[in-house]
Amino acid sequence: MAAPESPHAPARTASVPSPDRSPSDGGETARPPAGAAAPAGALTARAVVPAAVGLALAATVWAVGLPAGPSLFGSSLADLTVPTAILLALTGLWLAGWTSTTRETWRVVDIVTASVLGVAGGFLFVLWNLSWPVVSGALAAFPPASGIGVGIWLLPGVLGALVIRKPGAALYTELLAAVVSALVGNQWGFSTVWYGFLEGLGPEVLFAILLYRRFGLGASLGGGAAAGVVVGLLDTFVYYPTFSPWFKSVYIVAAITSGVVIAGVGSWALTRALARTGALSSLASGRDARRV
Amino acid sequence: MTVLSLGADRDLRPDAFVARANPVAKLVVALLVSLTLLLTVDVVTAGVALALEAAVLPWCGLSAAGLLRRGWIVVAGAVPAGLVTTWLGVDSGEVLLAVGPVTVTQGSLLAGCAITLRILSVGLPGVVLLATTDPTDLADALAQVARLPHRFVLAALAAMRLFALMGSEWESLGAARRARGIGDDGVVGRARTASGQVLALLVLVIRRGTRLAMAMEARGFGAPGARTWARTSRVRRSDLGVVLAGVVIVTVATVAGILAGTWHLALT
Repeated sequence: MAAPESPHAPARTASVPSPDRSPSDGGETARPPAGAAAPAGALTARAVVPAAVGLALAATVWAVGLPAGPSLFGSSLADLTVPTAILLALTGLWLAGWTSTTRETWRVVDIVTASVLGVAGGFLFVLWNLSWPVVSGALAAFPPASGIGVGIWLLPGVLGALVIRKPGAALYTELLAAVVSALVGNQWGFSTVWYGFLEGLGPEVLFAILLYRRFGLGASLGGGAAAGVVVGLLDTFVYYPTFSPWFKSVYIVAAITSGVVIAGVGSWALTRALARTGALSSLASGRDARRV
Repeated sequence: MTVLSLGADRDLRPDAFVARANPVAKLVVALLVSLTLLLTVDVVTAGVALALEAAVLPWCGLSAAGLLRRGWIVVAGAVPAGLVTTWLGVDSGEVLLAVGPVTVTQGSLLAGCAITLRILSVGLPGVVLLATTDPTDLADALAQVARLPHRFVLAALAAMRLFALMGSEWESLGAARRARGIGDDGVVGRARTASGQVLALLVLVIRRGTRLAMAMEARGFGAPGARTWARTSRVRRSDLGVVLAGVVIVTVATVAGILAGTWHLALT
């Protein structure tokens, strides 16, 4: 637990987050392969081992393939080879990013701001849920096109990560927004909560892979894309499992595009605009803006 | 008292078996049911689960009218999703209806029914959970029973109190913009106006959040040391019964689906 240090003391604004943070924080992202391009000090065994183990396991699963023999209620395990490999690789990279962060604890102001952002995101969800029948109705002639509207639902997670800049911010903000949406009541009921969890996990994994050091436009676009991948896969799995593969691919591409444009560009622009107003002055993202 | 306007409580019996259960028990059931049913798309599993859920409804403390008022929106989402699948799903079996490029076959009709039933059976426990649970009780239970980090749970609860405020702020922001002559008609114009208004709303709520954090910290929130609770959240033996009932529902539904041969993992 954090030491009870007032976030509003003047001294706080002078202290820069942590010394090993790269000065180009917020710049373009080079997408370092889990620690390789990270500043010195991050390349510890704690970071490298999980990444290496995850990637090796994934490669093995991919190369060997799961046995076709034992079938899980009729569907062969071999069909799950690719998802399992991807899951293993992502888990390894995520663990690497997570363990090699400086583990700055969340201050009360971080938690409350993330919560408020989550609830505001939930408010945005409610507005968008209400307009969704109109939007999807307009696209009903070609149903997979409705994927271009999902980006609004991905915004709070990416925004939370960009504003708070702490491990877990994307997951917490998106999950809370989804819970609010479900509490108010929407077309999708309780599954909204699962959606929120996974939609937050997508960008969370990406920011973890970037070792929670990059929060610029590139990282934001990547976070939006990651959330888009998740929601595209989820929707084709939960709501449209009987679409043809062609329709499914179109839907997933539309969802990723929407995630990149609305959640990625949108969060980045919102964070910049928010920092300019000075509203973020007691948070890591606001401190960064002042330094520029 | 509920934070969000979930409607009057008059069609709710708060002393019903499920309604007075610990919120965490209800949450476990809702998570369990949704996870199990999302694994498969078949009429038998979803249908059996929905029937069993309907059978235990009398113990949930929610009257039919209350259920309809809170749950209609789930139906409104489930039916179109099923129709889309019936229209566009992979065709198989006998052709029942063919209008131009659209064909409805036995296979796609069955798939459409399965989708609708699945959304309904996943949604019903959620409707009951949300209708019969006070957010404050839920937060207490999540922090004390489920042992989630209490700073996050309580901050989320505090932030939820701002939700109703956000609605009125959204309206006054819109009115202020109209008074200044900002605000366009049409789809594009309204989208542009709304995006500007989102930023204004975010500035307002973040400023309020920062002040709230200061006020909470000034009263010792987040201080080191053990936290004590004014409201204790207890787990009773009947809560175990609620969880067991949930386990029975998903087990019976899944076994029925497997026996009928319709259960198959929807991942593939």
